[in-house]
Amino acid sequence: MKEKRYQYEENPSYVSRREFITISGIVIAILALPAVWIRSAIVKRNSYIRARISGLYKDDVTSKIRVSHANSGVTRLYSDFAGHPLSHISEELFHTEHYIDRTRI
Amino acid sequence: MSTNNTWILKHPWSVRSFHYLLVLSFIPLAITGVVLYFKPFDGPAMNWYMQVHIVAGVLLTLAAVAYFIIGFNRVIAFIKRSFSFSVNDIKWFTVLGGYPQKFLLGKKVLVPPMGKYNSGQKLFGICVLVGGTILLVTGWGLWGLPHILPNGMTALFGTLHLVFGWILILFLLVHIFLGIYMFDDFKAMFLHGKIPYEEAKEIAPIWVERELMKVEI
Repeated sequence: MKEKRYQYEENPSYVSRREFITISGIVIAILALPAVWIRSAIVKRNSYIRARISGLYKDDVTSKIRVSHANSGVTRLYSDFAGHPLSHISEELFHTEHYIDRTRI
Repeated sequence: MSTNNTWILKHPWSVRSFHYLLVLSFIPLAITGVVLYFKPFDGPAMNWYMQVHIVAGVLLTLAAVAYFIIGFNRVIAFIKRSFSFSVNDIKWFTVLGGYPQKFLLGKKVLVPPMGKYNSGQKLFGICVLVGGTILLVTGWGLWGLPHILPNGMTALFGTLHLVFGWILILFLLVHIFLGIYMFDDFKAMFLHGKIPYEEAKEIAPIWVERELMKVEI
């Protein structure tokens, strides 16, 4: 499309230099404050997770049984009833047949 | 239409380009957002709507960030205009710009003189500026960082995204209606960027009087 001519346009000095700096500062501060808040919330959450992880490791150190396959109840279940992991009866009782893929939504 | 050939450049190409990108991104975002809220379709269809929502959201983000950087001086001028209030704004809202009287009663009422944006447009501008920023930040948080954000913050982001999404969608409907009704401004935004001087003098006398300058040829 052919550009039509015009006789008037906005005066760029509508915003003075002082106003430009003031408004820019306020905009940048308003954008930065939530960024700081979000970052500090993530750091706080991560510190909670780190404390939880160190607690679990501490439990591991003090626990006599640290892995599920060393659990005497589980080994007894297999020896007395289910046979071995992935046996027919284990699959029938312990494996789900109703898996629905919900990863895409 | 103007009886003479005096024109004002109201929307330069940078503004028009950004507005085109807003149209291309925000309208799909609004439609898919409403569908995602009501969930009228089955899983695969809803998944498709979510994909479109994400692509349009990325486009909107790129457009907003690019305009914020490239057109920073215009962003600042927009903020100054949107947040400049006077007693005329109160008077404008008491008659709602004269639009209900015009549409419903066929009457023309006295409307206080306005700048480039009338009071309703200022309110819309503030909502777009604040709400749009919140929608972008919360949208990225909900899509890209839900595993990093604390649970409470993710829930807050979801609520904010929903509330500001609805506010902007409702404002958008009014904006589209009035935008087409003001047809010279509609053509200026979508085609050549210019509006007739006489019309600008009638609808935005303060803008014409205080903010314009004659172009040196």
